Amino acid sequence: MTWPGPPHATSTDLLVLHALRCIGFAGLGRVAAAAGLPEPDVESELIDLAVAGLVSRVAGDFGGWGLTEAGRAVDAERIAGELETAGTRTVVTAAYDGFLVLNPELLDLCTAWQMRSVDGVVTLNDHSDPGYDARVLDRLTDLDRRAEAVCADLSAAMLRFRRYRVRLTDALASARSGALDDVTDSTASYHIVWFQLHEDLLATLGIPR
Amino acid sequence: MTWIHPLAAETEESADVLGGKAHGLVVLLRLGMPVPPGFVIGTGACRAFLADGRLPDGLDVELAAAVAELEAATGRPPVVSVRSGGRESMPGMMTTILNLPVRQVEPAVVEVVSSWDTPRAQTYRELHGIPHHLGTAVTVQAMVFGNRDHHSGSGVAFSRNPNTGEHAPFGEVLFGRQGDDVVSGRSLTRPLHELADREPAVWAGLLDALHRVEDHYRDACHLEFTFEAGELWLLQVRPGWFAGDAAVRVATDLADEGVIGRGEALLRVSPRQLQHVRVPRIVTVDEADVLARGLGACPGVAVGRVATAADNAARMAADGPVVLVRPATSPLDLHGLAAAAGVVTARGGPASHAAVVARRTRSRAAPRTDPRPNGWPRPTPSSVIGRGAAPSGGPVLIRGDRGRGWSARGCGTPPAGRAGRPGP
Repeated sequence: MTWPGPPHATSTDLLVLHALRCIGFAGLGRVAAAAGLPEPDVESELIDLAVAGLVSRVAGDFGGWGLTEAGRAVDAERIAGELETAGTRTVVTAAYDGFLVLNPELLDLCTAWQMRSVDGVVTLNDHSDPGYDARVLDRLTDLDRRAEAVCADLSAAMLRFRRYRVRLTDALASARSGALDDVTDSTASYHIVWFQLHEDLLATLGIPR
Repeated sequence: MTWIHPLAAETEESADVLGGKAHGLVVLLRLGMPVPPGFVIGTGACRAFLADGRLPDGLDVELAAAVAELEAATGRPPVVSVRSGGRESMPGMMTTILNLPVRQVEPAVVEVVSSWDTPRAQTYRELHGIPHHLGTAVTVQAMVFGNRDHHSGSGVAFSRNPNTGEHAPFGEVLFGRQGDDVVSGRSLTRPLHELADREPAVWAGLLDALHRVEDHYRDACHLEFTFEAGELWLLQVRPGWFAGDAAVRVATDLADEGVIGRGEALLRVSPRQLQHVRVPRIVTVDEADVLARGLGACPGVAVGRVATAADNAARMAADGPVVLVRPATSPLDLHGLAAAAGVVTARGGPASHAAVVARRTRSRAAPRTDPRPNGWPRPTPSSVIGRGAAPSGGPVLIRGDRGRGWSARGCGTPPAGRAGRPGP
């Protein structure tokens, strides 16, 4: 189902708050990558959100930004309000149904990337068989092509979903060019971005996990 | 008949035609074992459907005849199951239809053979090197009901212990429930030997069956069964599939028992299985002390204090290993998952977001514990997980290959590289 009108644009403060809601505890760079905004702008928004008690920052080497309980409640309320105002619930629900058809296959592929069954014994995939890895990546590329329609429908209705298409494409291209971590392991890996899109759809539609 | 074959001892078609599952049922019938009546639509019909987009000419007539025969065998229009099953097993990839009135079989057959070509099934075949042209057989069988009355139930039985290879019947039984409740992990099962007291006739029948299938396959075997009103029915048989030290022990025992030669015993243990023996695992713990059972997601073990929130896990990990216990996981738990040595979730499975994320940090995941109202020990300061309670902060030990969790007291892991017993 495709949205007929111009896509809904989310305000910058909600964009940053909601990015943090979907990616979890993260440093500035990752929040900016998820929101698709320059780091200084994101930092400025985060400071305002912290003053309002919606996010908090942990200092130190493993520090970063996280949502407070209040932040989570405000995000839920504003994201639900946005969906009703924009009138995009039907489109997002249809896209979510499409996502759910692809999700088990994506999880099969990620599992196959991490573990192999050889002689009936399940072992970690040590990536020493390029032919096997290539088969997984080819099927992931095929799935990614089918995910295109879901992403396109979401982005046509609400601009903020555009980032997922960009980040999924980046992760796949990187994995195909030899960065093995970008399938399941890195914070910008295909699975992590997909997992966040899943979380975003649940949060947007108000469905508990 | 061209397309359809009866489930009968006389049926001679190979697993290429009948599929592995139905071929096993024919073996059981030849051994004189009780199998619910039914018939098999061979893989040829699926291939014809895939080529032409419709079931082959003449199948409808054969189907009507097979259904009439089934009605005659059961004495009434039965409720049936319609299951996929090719030469190679593709667990969970294709459609299974249960509790179907027999007059609705044809559209169900179309649905099952169509499921051969879903993108997910294609992906599975690509990854496992299964040719796309094989097609699936379809087994139509009268349903038996493990939920009929209090002399009914379902379970799985192994002729030898799949954890250790020990030569003793092993398995799980679920009284008063259907088989899919056992496989899905939705319900709390009981140890198989409880059948001995509660249903002695079923127990005796099962022991006899385990003995006969082992004799036939000359290997440890696995049976799925249902008993309905005290009557035993076998639904599936599968030889082998033991892993690691259990596989080594079964091969050596079978050689010692004179069932197979020493040369064959050696060939049955692959280098992979010997490698698997070196993965750390738990010894000297009793199954009875298990706090939680589930589906394993990653080989290995982890010991740590229980944390029930991601923030706690991240904080506690500074002082030693942590096992994160969650109902399910979301991206909001990622920092806790990264900090934890092991992960247990109440929902999920080996192919869930939680499992993929847990394996990413090489931590040991055991997603999906079953709800266990009484299985957890006397609650100390506790957190509710599903319908059970986890000892918050207390040390636990999890085994990621089989999906088990123990209180860490009295557990140990064997030195790396030591098998359960010396090889042949």
